[in-house]
Amino acid sequence: MNKNSYIQLKELNKTFNETVAVNNINLEIYENEFFVLLGPSGCGKSTTLRMIAGLEDITSGEVIANKINISQLDPKDRNMAFVFQNYALYPHMNVRKNISYSLKLRKVSHEEMEKKIHWVSNLLKIDQLLDRKPSQLSGGQRQRVALGRSLVRDPVAFLLDEPLSNLDAQLRVEMRHELIKLQKNLAKTFIYVTHDQIEAMTMASRICIMNNGNILQIGTPKEVYEKPNSVFVARFIANPVNNILTTNIKHQNHSHNLECLNIELKRECLTNRDLVYFSIRPENFYIEKNNSEMASLKVEILQIENHGHDHLISSTIENNNQKIYFRLNKFHNLIIGESINIYFNTNDILLFDINSEEAI
Amino acid sequence: MNKISYYNRRFGYLLASPAILILVLIILVPITISIITSFFDYTLIDRDLDKFTGLKNYFSVINNPKFINSFFVTISFVIFVVLFEFLLGFLIAILLNKVTKFRNIYYFILLIPLLINPVVVGLIWRMFLHPQLGIVNYLIGFLGISPVNWLGDPQIAFVTIIFVDIWHQVSFMIILLLAGLASIPEEPYEAARIDGANEFRQFLDITLPYMRPVIIITLLIRLIFAVKTYDLIYIMTKGGPGEATDLISYYIYRSAFISLNLGEAASMSVLLLIIICVIIFPLFKYMNRADE
Amino acid sequence: MKTIPLLISLLFIFNMNANAVTLRAVMENVPDTGFIQELLPEFTAKTGIEVEFEVMGYGEMHPKLVPSLIASTGSYDFMPVDFYWVGEFDKAGWMMPLDDFIKKDEFDTSVYFDSLMDLTGRIGDTTYMLPFYNYAMGLTVRKDLLDDSSNQAKFEDKYGMKLKLPTEWDEYLNQVEFFTDKDKGFYGVVNQGGKADPIAMEWSNYLFARGGDFHDDNWNGLLTSNNALEALKDYVSMVNNYGPLGAESFGFDEAFNVAAQGNAYSYLTYNFFLNSYNDPEQSAVVGKMELIPVPGEGGLNGAWGWSIPKSSPNAEAAWEFLKWVESPDIAKRRAALGGAPTRKDVFNDPDLNEQFDHYPLLKDLLATAKNFPLFTYTPQFVEVMGTELSKAVIGEQDPAVALKIMNDELEALAAKDGKR
Repeated sequence: MNKNSYIQLKELNKTFNETVAVNNINLEIYENEFFVLLGPSGCGKSTTLRMIAGLEDITSGEVIANKINISQLDPKDRNMAFVFQNYALYPHMNVRKNISYSLKLRKVSHEEMEKKIHWVSNLLKIDQLLDRKPSQLSGGQRQRVALGRSLVRDPVAFLLDEPLSNLDAQLRVEMRHELIKLQKNLAKTFIYVTHDQIEAMTMASRICIMNNGNILQIGTPKEVYEKPNSVFVARFIANPVNNILTTNIKHQNHSHNLECLNIELKRECLTNRDLVYFSIRPENFYIEKNNSEMASLKVEILQIENHGHDHLISSTIENNNQKIYFRLNKFHNLIIGESINIYFNTNDILLFDINSEEAI
Repeated sequence: MNKISYYNRRFGYLLASPAILILVLIILVPITISIITSFFDYTLIDRDLDKFTGLKNYFSVINNPKFINSFFVTISFVIFVVLFEFLLGFLIAILLNKVTKFRNIYYFILLIPLLINPVVVGLIWRMFLHPQLGIVNYLIGFLGISPVNWLGDPQIAFVTIIFVDIWHQVSFMIILLLAGLASIPEEPYEAARIDGANEFRQFLDITLPYMRPVIIITLLIRLIFAVKTYDLIYIMTKGGPGEATDLISYYIYRSAFISLNLGEAASMSVLLLIIICVIIFPLFKYMNRADE
Repeated sequence: MKTIPLLISLLFIFNMNANAVTLRAVMENVPDTGFIQELLPEFTAKTGIEVEFEVMGYGEMHPKLVPSLIASTGSYDFMPVDFYWVGEFDKAGWMMPLDDFIKKDEFDTSVYFDSLMDLTGRIGDTTYMLPFYNYAMGLTVRKDLLDDSSNQAKFEDKYGMKLKLPTEWDEYLNQVEFFTDKDKGFYGVVNQGGKADPIAMEWSNYLFARGGDFHDDNWNGLLTSNNALEALKDYVSMVNNYGPLGAESFGFDEAFNVAAQGNAYSYLTYNFFLNSYNDPEQSAVVGKMELIPVPGEGGLNGAWGWSIPKSSPNAEAAWEFLKWVESPDIAKRRAALGGAPTRKDVFNDPDLNEQFDHYPLLKDLLATAKNFPLFTYTPQFVEVMGTELSKAVIGEQDPAVALKIMNDELEALAAKDGKR
């Protein structure tokens, strides 16, 4: 990946009346990255994307693209393509006209237009649909047309605003793969907004997690998964849940006892702390001890959720009452109310400060 | 199951029948009576429906130059009034659509003329337009313009009634067109901004196609009502000066209530009905086709 | 059990209604209506009968009356009838003969001026109406301008005749020209050139003033005569050269206002307007306007009559009202308020003559006034007249052609009515 910083946001801020939607964020996006803005509804990710596109006025701060400050430019002059969640196709034009609209406005020659339409429709496999109107297309087809519309402009970056959220699950998976492939083929920068962490994890080269207008963490999928920098990120990047529990700490000579789990950890960061958040992902629990260093935990089973490929089991920790989830493969005979031992590696414990909620 | 739905249907018809009956009575019966009357020599003075004259009324009406004049005056009035109300109304609706603060206040102010009874509108404007004592000539005097003979000059009078009608009815257009504009989603416009379309192109390529059904139906409704314009003429010009503002509704009224010749008036009404149907039929078809 | 009190109260209501008759009538929005309204409470106190007027503009009365008249029982108990509806109402048989009522109560109809009884009273040998008020037309002029000595000097200089109340038509024309000063916004004359009724009524005076007429005894049209042509040319010239802007569209309201605000020397109008000139709330020329007969050979007569429709719901009670409103006492009091009288005894009353010094003049007016063509199709003829006259005034029709059209129409309508 080319590490040239291509798009920069400097102290970018968007305030509506009294509410701050995007709180002076700074970030750098590299050329040819598949950069994902991830966060819950209302976190400011779409607003940020729209400010990059020019659809939203910037309250303060700058957007720099390819070393040029584009903050005051009209959308059409920024040479970026935008794919909308609801496709935003022109309902009264057929597919061909939808795709070529921007070219028509730029007064591109007829042959040039034909060439481009041909290329795009082949690429996205919509060549059979060129004469249809949007109302005659399925959701997936409309999405492709929307993509086609952006492709044809040969932009420097593609901005996609939750483009897959209106599709059904199966189609979503297909389109995910297509988009990944597309980005690789085009070798262009993609900035992608979503609230779905699966999409983010599977597609992104880097994920930027946002909440309440602030950036919480930027990192590769592996990084944010294995080393979340805050409780929020740990909770958010989870499929479907993560365990975030609290525990008292009893200090001993060179180690610290996490009361809840009844295990000893030698980590330095625990000095001077009495209460701490900890997290162990559900998939990091096992029903059998795999090696001698695994710790064990006694739990009473509350619920068993059958997810088809595995089971998600909710349980309470003995003597503690905090709920803990763990995943097991489908071949087991657990019943509700049973008390069992589950096993985990202490290395998989992530710790977070009880006040700041940041990773320690 | 069949029995239940049969009773349901019957009950449904029963419930609907009073309304249908009233509609039939109010609409069909008078129209039928009118049509029948048009084939007789029937006046209010001699109220016997005994002199069947077939199409004589129709022929005498069509051959009457005063009727022809009234017909053409009406056509040009209707075209001007609907056209200007549409253009002005559309412009105002577009502007109003962009306004967020105080929109309701502007809306309300613009609506007021429409709420005024047409007779009162005519009376107010007659007063305002009095050549010596009215306020309009007084005010334009400050601009250095000499008094205008608003209702006394035939050409000017024609323009005057168009103007007063616009003042009265333009908000009808504004309401409907604004409702249409407000229902257009924002996103195609955003896509267009990114694609490089300026305001004008956005209007042509997005706004107009979306607005097509609303535009057509608004024009249709307004056209039909414009042909029936009566109050304004009755109050302001009585069809004059000369025959410059002799709209067809007023003409038919005179035939019925001054000449008391109901047979002739009925034939004119039927002719008018036919002509209106002919005019709106293509519009109607176009609208149905536009529903995609 | 509950039904008995209900029935009793219903009986009560019915009973009460049987005594409390309410008479309804359509009335024109003119001063004379107002004068009667002031006196109505006395009628109700005396007879227990309520009276409700629906007051409206002239043009709305006829359309309102007609549906009521053709019904077997209408909404109106009595009605004022304008002279030019008389033929039509008579032909259609909408009016109830009053002879029986008159005989029963020994109502004296000889007190009415003959000319008015002919107009809105008798048709043939039957009495259908009692004359209500007259609106014979006369000329109102600014006496104060005539009395001004510098005006007198200049006028005599220019035209070689004395400046005085005009008695000849040419004299009047000169005065109109003399007093017009458009730069100062002052006009020799204000015309009510509005289509149909206003212009037709006003121009009839011009026709009569020049000695012309509408038709002869055999209903041959006389509108193509030279007199008529001159009369129309006069009118066109008045409106276009000596009148204010917009007179082509004036009804009597607008024209009156121009004169009442002091912007015109003369206005040919209905005699009852004289009282309005002297009402400070409406006029800026109180005491300055004088009413004279139309110079030349006479002006247009006009009147309204009281009638009871055949479809009257309460004919007996309606006759009570007619009797009362046309009783000598009430007639005198209406006149004292400013109403236009129709009875000789009112005209000759010394008190009224003291109050209004124009009464002798009014008598003259009535004596010399001429009638408009009266037949079944009078309203229609007024329409045609109105259109053609209006066209002539705005220059869309040659006056001679306009007159020919009016003449032909008059003869055609007269033939339709069986008059020729």
